[in-house]
Amino acid sequence: MPGFRHAPRTFWCYAGDVDAIVIDRLTKRFGAITALDAVSLHVPEGETYGFLGPNGAGKTTAIRSLLGFVRPTSGACQIFGHDCWTDGVRARRGLGFLVASSTLYPDMTGGDFLDYAARLTQQPTPLRATLLERFEVGEAALQRKVGGYSKGTKQKLALVACLQSDPKLVILDEPTDGLDPLMQRAFEAVVALLRERGATVFMSSHDLGEVERVCQRVAIVRDGTVVAEATIDDLTARRQRMIEVTFTGQAPDWPRVPSVRLVERGGNRLVISARSNSRDVLAALAAREDVTDILVTRPSLEQIFHEYYTSPDDSEPTGR
Amino acid sequence: MNLETILALTGRGLRTGRLSLVALVAAIAGFTFVQPVVIASFGGAAALDALISRIPPAFQAFARTRPEFLAMTGLPGYLSLGFTHPIYIVLSGAAVISYAARVLAGEMASGAIQLPLSRPVSRPAVYLANVLGIVVVVALAAAAGPFGMLIGIWYARPGEFSISHLWPMTILCFALLWAIAGLSLLLSSAANNAGQVVGWALGLLLFSYFVDYFAGVWDPLRAILFLSLFEYFTPTQTLVNGVADARSTGILLLAGSVALAAGLGIFTRRDLPG
Repeated sequence: MPGFRHAPRTFWCYAGDVDAIVIDRLTKRFGAITALDAVSLHVPEGETYGFLGPNGAGKTTAIRSLLGFVRPTSGACQIFGHDCWTDGVRARRGLGFLVASSTLYPDMTGGDFLDYAARLTQQPTPLRATLLERFEVGEAALQRKVGGYSKGTKQKLALVACLQSDPKLVILDEPTDGLDPLMQRAFEAVVALLRERGATVFMSSHDLGEVERVCQRVAIVRDGTVVAEATIDDLTARRQRMIEVTFTGQAPDWPRVPSVRLVERGGNRLVISARSNSRDVLAALAAREDVTDILVTRPSLEQIFHEYYTSPDDSEPTGR
Repeated sequence: MNLETILALTGRGLRTGRLSLVALVAAIAGFTFVQPVVIASFGGAAALDALISRIPPAFQAFARTRPEFLAMTGLPGYLSLGFTHPIYIVLSGAAVISYAARVLAGEMASGAIQLPLSRPVSRPAVYLANVLGIVVVVALAAAAGPFGMLIGIWYARPGEFSISHLWPMTILCFALLWAIAGLSLLLSSAANNAGQVVGWALGLLLFSYFVDYFAGVWDPLRAILFLSLFEYFTPTQTLVNGVADARSTGILLLAGSVALAAGLGIFTRRDLPG
């Protein structure tokens, strides 16, 4: 990968100890609808941050506020210390944003589009060749009009336009939408390399598996508020684990114990869910002589996400 | 503001609609080319006088072709009818309204405006780029009419006419289209899609045209005649005298400029549509 891992970063100079993103009690109302309700979060420089929520939860409004597309009703957001609304040009210097593939100009060739995006960014494009290679966009494709591209190729071109200037902060809204599984993996590899280079990545996605693989920290948004924010590890550690126990004979009745819930019992198999700190439960199981196997499963991000959207318990403390 | 970025944005805006712009400019030139050719085909201005005198007076009033008016103005008066004709107004208006609608409201609706505005490009820079594009479009559309007429006069030779009078006519056309373009970009900065802009701008243009048109035959409309852009668009005097009226031209240029400034204020403060 010549010119990618070891290319020197020469065109940004930010003061240290400044968060890449600060959202401070950000509220945005559209008439009677409150899209964001006093949202606060910080993304330290160099972190890969996932922003999760279904359609209408407020994540796109938060991203649009960061980009200065909408004016906050109250509160503020900053990128590297610059207010996104009042000092937007400075805030967006060194920023890469993935525009929707449907917004690319159909009458431009792919190459012309990348040149145009670079002129607007006013930065050199040290990563273009590498990204084109990674996403398998050949010279022939760059010579063709964008209007003739497939959705996936448009998405790849938009990703190259977003990342070609080696941005310090990358904001991605549904980055792998339209990409096939191989290209999704290529995208994840590119994010990993960006992270190695010290870039901050802020991404929203419906693909929770992707977020779990790529991100270090996530926020879950519901009805315009952040209902959980933590590292992936903290979030999974705090949630229920599934414990599948196999006995030599018939599985026994499970006594009512706080924080442990019977999920399934049949034959010699018993499935319970327990809080991560239920060491007593595991100790009690391990002490039984009729237990032949214990399988503990950490919940996936998808299961955690599902819990936040089905459980009335929103009082989980945020991780920061 | 980075000039290279602004010019890149201006170039992008002009390239996107270049085919329709070229077609409209050609149509404007073609329409005004026809005017002297038609006059020549009737035998010149004198023959047309005789023909028009046979039209019932009520129709003459509507068409503003009363014989005494045309006897006074002669060939320049006949030629000026090409610039007040609804086809000329529609073609010229379409050129500037469609451009103004597309570059702001159209790009906001499609999301294409997110590309520059997610880069270190300010909203005033995007707006200024579009104003530069407007200048080019207005200049082309304004020049097309007198240019087509010049070619038509050269080709058909309908009679005595000082072609130097077409220069002030070009300035007056520029002033009218500048006002229409300014109002259209103001609407474009406030709208969420290009269709809204085209609808609102055509409504304003029609209102303006008919107020000016019917004020001549219905006195109550005279009270609001000053609101009509066409009150200040005086091609007959300009072609006859060879001078664009400074007050009228100034009012049109001022109206366009004020509208553009108001559009800038709206565009820099508004939320982009989602």
